[in-house]
Amino acid sequence: MDVVTNIVIVGVGGQGVLTLAKWIGEAALVEGFDVRIAEVHGMSQRGGSVEVHVRYGSEIYSPIVEEGDADVVIALEALEALRGLRYVKHDGVLVINRRLIPLPNVRLSLDEVIKTIEKSGARYLVIPAFEIALKLGSPIYENSVTLGFVCALLGLPMPPGLDDKNQTAFRTGVSIYNSSAFY
Amino acid sequence: MKLLLLGNEALAYGALSEGVAVATAYPGTPSTEILETLEEFRDRFTHWAANEKTAFEIAYGAALAGARALTAMKHVGLNVAADPLHSSAYTGVEGGFLIISADDPSMHSSQNEQDTRWYGLQSFVPVLEPSDPRNAYDLAKAGMRLSEELRHPVLIRSVTRVSHVRAPVDIDPPSPPKWGSFNKDIKRFTLVPAHARERRKALLEKWREVEKISSKFIKVEGSGEKSVVTAGVAYNYVKEAVKKLNIEIKIVKLEMSVPVPPTIRDIVGERAVVVEEGEPVVEIQLRSLGIYTYGKLDGYFPRYGELDTTKTAVGLAKAFGIEYRSKVFRPEAEPPPRRPSLCPGCPHMGTFYALRIAAVGKEVVWSGDIGCYSLGVNTNQQDIITHMGSSIGLGMGVALSDKKLVVATVGDSTFFHASLPQLVDVATRSIPLLIVVMDNSYTAMTGGQPSPSRKIPIEKITEAFGITTYVIDPIDIKKSIYTLKKAIEEVKNNKPIVVVSKRPCVLMAVRKARKSGVHWPRYRVDPDLCIKCGICFNIGCSAIFKQDDGKAVVDTSLCTGCGVCSEVCPRGAFKYEGDRSAWTWLRT
Repeated sequence: MDVVTNIVIVGVGGQGVLTLAKWIGEAALVEGFDVRIAEVHGMSQRGGSVEVHVRYGSEIYSPIVEEGDADVVIALEALEALRGLRYVKHDGVLVINRRLIPLPNVRLSLDEVIKTIEKSGARYLVIPAFEIALKLGSPIYENSVTLGFVCALLGLPMPPGLDDKNQTAFRTGVSIYNSSAFY
Repeated sequence: MKLLLLGNEALAYGALSEGVAVATAYPGTPSTEILETLEEFRDRFTHWAANEKTAFEIAYGAALAGARALTAMKHVGLNVAADPLHSSAYTGVEGGFLIISADDPSMHSSQNEQDTRWYGLQSFVPVLEPSDPRNAYDLAKAGMRLSEELRHPVLIRSVTRVSHVRAPVDIDPPSPPKWGSFNKDIKRFTLVPAHARERRKALLEKWREVEKISSKFIKVEGSGEKSVVTAGVAYNYVKEAVKKLNIEIKIVKLEMSVPVPPTIRDIVGERAVVVEEGEPVVEIQLRSLGIYTYGKLDGYFPRYGELDTTKTAVGLAKAFGIEYRSKVFRPEAEPPPRRPSLCPGCPHMGTFYALRIAAVGKEVVWSGDIGCYSLGVNTNQQDIITHMGSSIGLGMGVALSDKKLVVATVGDSTFFHASLPQLVDVATRSIPLLIVVMDNSYTAMTGGQPSPSRKIPIEKITEAFGITTYVIDPIDIKKSIYTLKKAIEEVKNNKPIVVVSKRPCVLMAVRKARKSGVHWPRYRVDPDLCIKCGICFNIGCSAIFKQDDGKAVVDTSLCTGCGVCSEVCPRGAFKYEGDRSAWTWLRT
């Protein structure tokens, strides 16, 4: 079998992009896949754009996902979704957390961003991970809500080692996936 | 035990399974997690050294005494440690000595692209080059063993896409640390000219021995008349590109990329395509062996930035004369890059703001340095940033050549890393500089390694040098501006002044507060009081935004409650919720 799943996760430094990537990788490891996660640390984590690549399958070499080659692009933030768009495969999907962290001199609203993505022709799904995280007590749970959604989408199990709060967030993410009629 | 490990963690576990006893480092992206991993093992000596040279020396000394030792740094750190590196090849070592240097092609978090492997050629130290975390684990083990067998240091060259890639790795449990005992060997360890000349001859002989061993580190896959020679992370891109192009070739992977052994001619014949990350170090060695190469020297592969599968496929296709076009799908609109910025509540924000106000009307040259405060570039307060220590070092030269006010901004960790000798020159020649030490108690950019300033107060050092020194708290904006103005006047009277701006990194403070259950305050804007003057936007806080009506608004999910906004607002429009006293507590 030579099937590889390519995932790109984009967001803003501090949103837990690295942790989300590691969780997905651990879930894939539980399933017995070979895994590569390409992280970026340091300067780029200080509130800048963050981009992490996750690849899993029977045998993986390159840690990097090529442009136009991602099965799933996860955007924890809407403006970053525009940047992540170039990775989406023809039959891939862009999962967008309903949250916009403004950029100076960019006057796009969340709805306008989504319209732009709609126009590009890429398949996309918008999920209220940020809103749910706030209900769970802190924005720090937006990545675990997203994790639940994406694991359900990809058929991956819950990764080991999540604490109670993150497990609750994960399950909420799964139920958003189950309760929505996308296709 | 199979774990999803970072390349850096894998390197650490490899060394642990070979009984490393002494491990030292100076933090630097992408190398930091090597020592962070080793730190957890308390039965050995681990240490964040003041700089890479000290780190290198501690480990080198331990290896001279027969202990197994490791030192880790980023590529530019090896420049700082270059002096002892070259000597270590002359003396050799008794215990295994692994030097790990992590390169950062594409400069994700660095000031230059530099290829560590040149140092291997220059200093006669063999270089092992892992391709992924699993391989990193294996080569760390092999390197430690080889070093002890050869009684010679061994370099491991990692790169961002090995150090910061996670992959499943099977690891053995750590072996007990192997300590040593120092045996005198004056002719070997004392490099006075008479001894050094003999050591030079011994070194050249050693190198021939290393070349023979290098043959054992060649891995050949596949068959075909044509050969691709590759090393390190580039191997992965070759594997993927070959699949894409559907070609039959011989892949020759050099796990020791310096030195390339002459026996390679028997494997590749007269011609080879060379795919490597960084500089054409393997390619140049192949050419010197008389092999015709298609690589970076003639532009088959780019000599700038990181490789990837597409670049590799394009280069291979060109070298083999086959058709390949990559399909890249471009979005119609992409937002401007989100530049890294100082975190909300970052003490540097207050320091930079106070400096701007205190220096109003003055022509200033901002002599900058490496650390989080490099982000002062966003407010045009870093005119020069070149290397660790550039602030005071280059600042002296600027101040001697120009009458403008020179403000050197340096962090606490960089201060101890690079600036102590510079202070000697500042003090002995009384060079008029305003040195602002932004002391946040941590090496923050690399994730918060403790800085020496927690044990050695910086103001005590600078006072001992006879330089007038003031201490400010950067969230106390009014007092800070007052002190900085006074300091600027004194610099204008031709003397150096140091201002130590002290407050811990907000990320660390918030982490500590969260653990201790301390709630920090958050600010909101009272829209009735906001007069759209825009002064608060000048702070550069990434939690304060301008609404469409021109009024300010705070994103409370980002605010950490430092209160600098309320200090600068002329109308008191910023109101806090929660406990303001938490910030007094966060000071420690």
